[in-house]
Amino acid sequence: MWCETMTSGERMAALMKGERPDRVPVIPFLSGHAAVVCGQPITRISDDAAESFRCQLLCQELYGHDGSPLYAYASAGGWEFGGDIEFPVKKYSGAIVVTRTPIQNEDDVHTLRVPDDVSKAGALPIALGIARKQAEYGMPVTLQIGAPLTWTGSVIGEERMMNWLIKKPDLVHIVLDKVSDFLIKVAQYYVKEFGADRLMAFHGAATETNKLISPKQFEAFSMPYLQRINQACIDMGINTYFIHICGEQNKNLKFWQQVPLTKQTVISVGREIDLNTAMEMFPEQIVAGNVDPTIIQEGRAEEVYEQARECIEKAKEHKGGYILMAGCDVPPHAPPANVFQLVKAARDFGRY
Amino acid sequence: MADEATILGQLKQAVMDGDEDAAVAAANEAVATGVDPQKAIMEGLAAGMAEMGRLYEEEECYVPELMVSSEALYAGLAVLQPLVAASGKAAKKGTAVIGAVQGDIHDIGKNLVKMMLEVSGIEVVDLGRDVEMESFIAAVKDANADLLCMSALMTTTIIAIKDYMPEFKAKLPGVKIMIGGAPLNQHLADEWGADGYGENAMEAARVAVRLLGA
Repeated sequence: MWCETMTSGERMAALMKGERPDRVPVIPFLSGHAAVVCGQPITRISDDAAESFRCQLLCQELYGHDGSPLYAYASAGGWEFGGDIEFPVKKYSGAIVVTRTPIQNEDDVHTLRVPDDVSKAGALPIALGIARKQAEYGMPVTLQIGAPLTWTGSVIGEERMMNWLIKKPDLVHIVLDKVSDFLIKVAQYYVKEFGADRLMAFHGAATETNKLISPKQFEAFSMPYLQRINQACIDMGINTYFIHICGEQNKNLKFWQQVPLTKQTVISVGREIDLNTAMEMFPEQIVAGNVDPTIIQEGRAEEVYEQARECIEKAKEHKGGYILMAGCDVPPHAPPANVFQLVKAARDFGRY
Repeated sequence: MADEATILGQLKQAVMDGDEDAAVAAANEAVATGVDPQKAIMEGLAAGMAEMGRLYEEEECYVPELMVSSEALYAGLAVLQPLVAASGKAAKKGTAVIGAVQGDIHDIGKNLVKMMLEVSGIEVVDLGRDVEMESFIAAVKDANADLLCMSALMTTTIIAIKDYMPEFKAKLPGVKIMIGGAPLNQHLADEWGADGYGENAMEAARVAVRLLGA
């Protein structure tokens, strides 16, 4: 009987060094789900660093997956720049939502200020709480550094920003600049506290989807700021990156290629981007994905297992390395037996 | 003064350009020259929006362009619709209630569906976002609606749609139900008993018109 010969930490370290681990690593992308399986309210993942870390760690032990606890949220930006949010306390809520964006009109753009002390802005105190736990446990310390257009949508309001992309592009650029300044300041803060070599910087790029914006808009409004932030982080000595290219972004990929990326970069793609395309576009980087989260929630365990097998067989020999992941966050109420199929498939088909 | 065909063309172009001022100017000219306001809406403004919808489906334009076009559309409608209503000639194909389900605050897609339904001649009652089941039921009854449209963008919130469906089937007999949103698909729509599903706003409008038999 085949047995794993590496711990999760060893497996991920080998992958990051460009070596073959014992099997394909699995990072399912669990957030609210970790709270559910631990019998906690979903909001604990977002509002309580200690409890969030504990639930995620227990979940990792339960499933035997390789993703250590982290803190990131899709609607980041609005709160950090002074807006109001609501934690996911209502029925069906799964993540933090911005209930009042800091920008309500054009004048607000000019008075918008980058917070002086980034460590106290929005979710940063909670994120830093998780980061300190990660450091204590010897895990990579994660920090969210974008994606800048997604953050900017949360600051301006997505619908308003869609309008301004056409009618008032200068205003969007002003906010993008301030958001980028903020994210670089956050990176500087983390480097100072934890050291650059401990860090893994994360971009969650959701608003960048071609279901919303055009590739030309991505090129004009997203790429330059991704370039600026990543180059600044690389210059600070941060070597490890995790980029989630969310949803349909096939037409953006040629611009993503122009963002400075280290070899220790994980490119995670949604179901909409074929793993073969991702591997072709990012031959040197680690590719991750892309089991359909809806199947994980609504499908049968056998379907999840089969789709995971297909992903592994497609990508396990990728030069840069491969991680089996869901195409996006696993739904909080996904059946645990379905989530476990990812690990099972990696053990059955992902052995090196 | 411009002739009818020219004015209809101006209305269409104003919508396609996302030019609110031009849409209002062309609508006012339509009124001044006696163009039938219903015709000005359908063959001018709505035709422009339909063309933008076609371009979206062909990935030649994207949501920002659709949104500025919709603003021009609504600016023109604000001039023309009161005249249609006053004439009593409004030809509506049915009434729909629309909303993003409880827990979901994403409504860009829902708003585009609403607009395309309106462009297709369907009266729409928009409940906004984070809409509870009881609010949908009450609104459908109040408006005597023929169609109920629900959207959800998150895998968490699509569960609300699944939960709502049996209640809607029981309490709103005869009302057609449509669902949409990124994590959804035709398979789930069928499994959960929805009458229709739209991959995007344009398809949603076509399905709605078919369901209403209009």
